[in-house]
Amino acid sequence: MRSINPACKFAGLLVMTLVLAWWHDPVLNLAVFLMSVILILLSGTRVRSLFLMLSPILLFAVGMFFTGYRFSAGGDMPVNESTMLFADSAFVNGMTLASRVLAYGGVGYLFALTTDRILLVRSFHKQFHLPQVFAYGLLAAWGILPHMIQEYKRTRAAFRARGLRVFAVSPALLAPLLVKSIRWSEELAVAMESKGFSGKEKRSEFEPVRVRKRDWVFLLVCCILFPAAAAAVLM
Amino acid sequence: MSESKNAWKLRDVIMMAVLGVVFAVVYMAVFYGGTAISTALTPFGLSAFGFELIYGVWFMAATLAAYIIRKPGAALVTEILASAIELLMGNSGGLTVVLTGLIQGLGAELVFAAFRYKKWNFLSMSLAGMGSAVLIFCYELYYLSYYLLAPGMLIAQLAVRFVSAIVFSGIICKLAGDGLAKTGVVKSYAIGASAKTGKIYDEED
Repeated sequence: MRSINPACKFAGLLVMTLVLAWWHDPVLNLAVFLMSVILILLSGTRVRSLFLMLSPILLFAVGMFFTGYRFSAGGDMPVNESTMLFADSAFVNGMTLASRVLAYGGVGYLFALTTDRILLVRSFHKQFHLPQVFAYGLLAAWGILPHMIQEYKRTRAAFRARGLRVFAVSPALLAPLLVKSIRWSEELAVAMESKGFSGKEKRSEFEPVRVRKRDWVFLLVCCILFPAAAAAVLM
Repeated sequence: MSESKNAWKLRDVIMMAVLGVVFAVVYMAVFYGGTAISTALTPFGLSAFGFELIYGVWFMAATLAAYIIRKPGAALVTEILASAIELLMGNSGGLTVVLTGLIQGLGAELVFAAFRYKKWNFLSMSLAGMGSAVLIFCYELYYLSYYLLAPGMLIAQLAVRFVSAIVFSGIICKLAGDGLAKTGVVKSYAIGASAKTGKIYDEED
């Protein structure tokens, strides 16, 4: 999964998610979730860290199950024929809502865990023609994230040094962070402009991001084979 | 780029991207908080309300950015950027989080556009938040199959979401924006042009 062009991966998986939203089938949702987990593990994520990351969506799925189970819409709801099949069964209703959380979450993690961020922005610039100002602006903003984390820790330490207890998300910590971030953004913009960046100049690339054969295969699987297979099984 | 007043400058783009990064982190943190609340509500079958309570947080990037930059498109673009960065940090909502960002940003943008980008007060910001809330709710009816839930439950959810939108994107964003204007860091943006500021001491001074 790592070697697939990020823009193609994004488009393919997005189509796949939308297809999932069209069908309301718990089995299909769970199958997609399992497949995502397998692919994530195959591309080198450790089981433990994956489980930690997935735990909130597992909890949320359980929550959605009970919401769907308790508060299912009655048979008199204006639902179409494909949903009528399970709208009267509280259990299946709950299962559908829960499994869909899992499927979306699984596909989302599959994307996030196998995609290099910088490559993604470059690929969007190249394949989706994201304007240069945005591509490089985004990369620059991404670059100050470590500074933000450090600033947050520093402010926290400063409060601790004064013997004050503050909340993890208290305004006393977040306000200086916001002010600093905005000041950095201003400085970044000035720095980029002073080095001649205007967003209009033509530039060459050290390593162009290309769409290769395997990316087309991936798109084919996501956009045509997967919907066709789902339709064939579920109809 | 034309030299019109509303053209994007690099400064604006980076500001939006930075706000996107900040709010992506906030969204992630809030997501875990929301999961905790909704887990606590799970036994009552009210798990969905855990997120309704704090849903307004997800509209903040759009309204705050628009409040600072005050140009057409700021709300929409910032919300999309925030959601895209959230996705990259490993969000649990899946790829469509970018779609939801687009929809929420559009909701806020439409309200600001209805005010012709001239009104920047508590009312317009609250309405922008509510605009996001309405659009995203319509989308969720389909996407999360919320139409499977009883109508009374849905109305209650929407009501809680409205209150949350007003609190977070109306009150808190307005206060945050005004606070930033007072510190002087946003002096070169529309919001800071009118604000009174004292002398700013930079780290390098």
